[in-house]
Amino acid sequence: MAAPVADTAGTQPQWEFNCDLEVDYESEKNASMVYAALAVDKELQPDKVKRQMEVSNGKLIVHFEAVEARFLRASFSAFVDVLTLATKTIEEFGQGMEL
Amino acid sequence: MKKMIALGFEGSANKIGVGVVTLDGTILSNPRHTYITPPGQGFLPRETAQHHLQHILPLIKSALKTAQITPDEIDCLCYTKGPGMGAPLQVSAIVVRILSQLWKKPIVAVNHCVAHIEMGRIVTGADDPVVLYVSGGNTQVIAYSEGRYRIFGETIDIAVGNCLDRFARVLTLSNDPSPGYNIEQLAKKGEQFIDLPYVVKGMDVSFSGILSYIEATAVEKLKNDECTPADLCYSLQETVYAMLVEITERAMAHCDTKDVLIVGGVGCNERLQEMMRTMCSERGGRLFATDDRYCIDNGAMIAYTGLLAYAHGTVTPMEESTFTQRFRTDEVHAIWREKKEPSNMNDLIQESS
Repeated sequence: MAAPVADTAGTQPQWEFNCDLEVDYESEKNASMVYAALAVDKELQPDKVKRQMEVSNGKLIVHFEAVEARFLRASFSAFVDVLTLATKTIEEFGQGMEL
Repeated sequence: MKKMIALGFEGSANKIGVGVVTLDGTILSNPRHTYITPPGQGFLPRETAQHHLQHILPLIKSALKTAQITPDEIDCLCYTKGPGMGAPLQVSAIVVRILSQLWKKPIVAVNHCVAHIEMGRIVTGADDPVVLYVSGGNTQVIAYSEGRYRIFGETIDIAVGNCLDRFARVLTLSNDPSPGYNIEQLAKKGEQFIDLPYVVKGMDVSFSGILSYIEATAVEKLKNDECTPADLCYSLQETVYAMLVEITERAMAHCDTKDVLIVGGVGCNERLQEMMRTMCSERGGRLFATDDRYCIDNGAMIAYTGLLAYAHGTVTPMEESTFTQRFRTDEVHAIWREKKEPSNMNDLIQESS
């Protein structure tokens, strides 16, 4: 159900490193659930990495900006881990779950 | 009346556990999985979180199945807010936030240290003991007073379990089932006591200097054949446990309490229990301790403590369901321990909601 797309490119001088992630849940409800769960945890170094999220047309859209590539990589990688966990939780315990 | 049921998640260190309990303390299920590193190595946050990611969902299924309940029957979802390692804590928090939305159930955030105490109290039946909480990350002597668990004494640097774990790495003992267990077994064969620094500072203790000393001495003495690894394990255990018994005894004198409860992972060490029991009996008191099923981190202790808070009106809104590496025992208002007068109950529920 999830098809992540990521690309990196440098634009701004300050927040030189950025990257976008889009996951299509094909469900406004599921995308919003993941959004709500992941929005609780703020970025640990807001002066080094910024994260913006939104839900649109059943998709979760995330934009990262960082001052150095290593911060971007660390933040993005940790985010993908928890995003995967949240998604798997919905898949396994959502409607029609079997024990 | 239907029994209240809670599902609890614990993942603050190297164990991930999911437990189902009822308000009277009955444990319906309590599966857990431990991340065991190779001998000579400790567990690091990132790898530990990866371990938890892999095991948490199957553990939930197993917990529900063993308890023979469906999500509908659950009253609240409890998780460890802290203290602990950040990345591993986040795993439980994320799953609870999703399940809360899927199943429409409230969340209750739980303090890990308080959960150890409440689990120990319900399992042993100790009513108002002095608590020695000893684990890989924490070392505290605690007693309840006026709505909170007050810390009477604690380590000023590393936890006693951390000192033991790191010494086990020097000897490259196995981490399976735990380094502390293997030190305890080896210590039984110790014959010679080696003098180590004994560091009690008032009500507090310190272990980092002892660790540095034994790390340096161990290599030297073992090389010169002056002692065996068993002698070192024996000497280290005797020294650090004597320190813990001393500060616990002092706290007992302060609070005028005769009962002691030992909780936390190091609490299942039988030598520590034996030394503490001797001290208690000399003071005409009793020692309450549990075995590895309840001492070591588990989901049921989180579920039970969360359910106590929930039954007294506490709920954690989703936006506030964060986790934190630092979360002191005395920050928690233990509303469930306040006097239970019927006229007061409604006030309590309103106050906390």
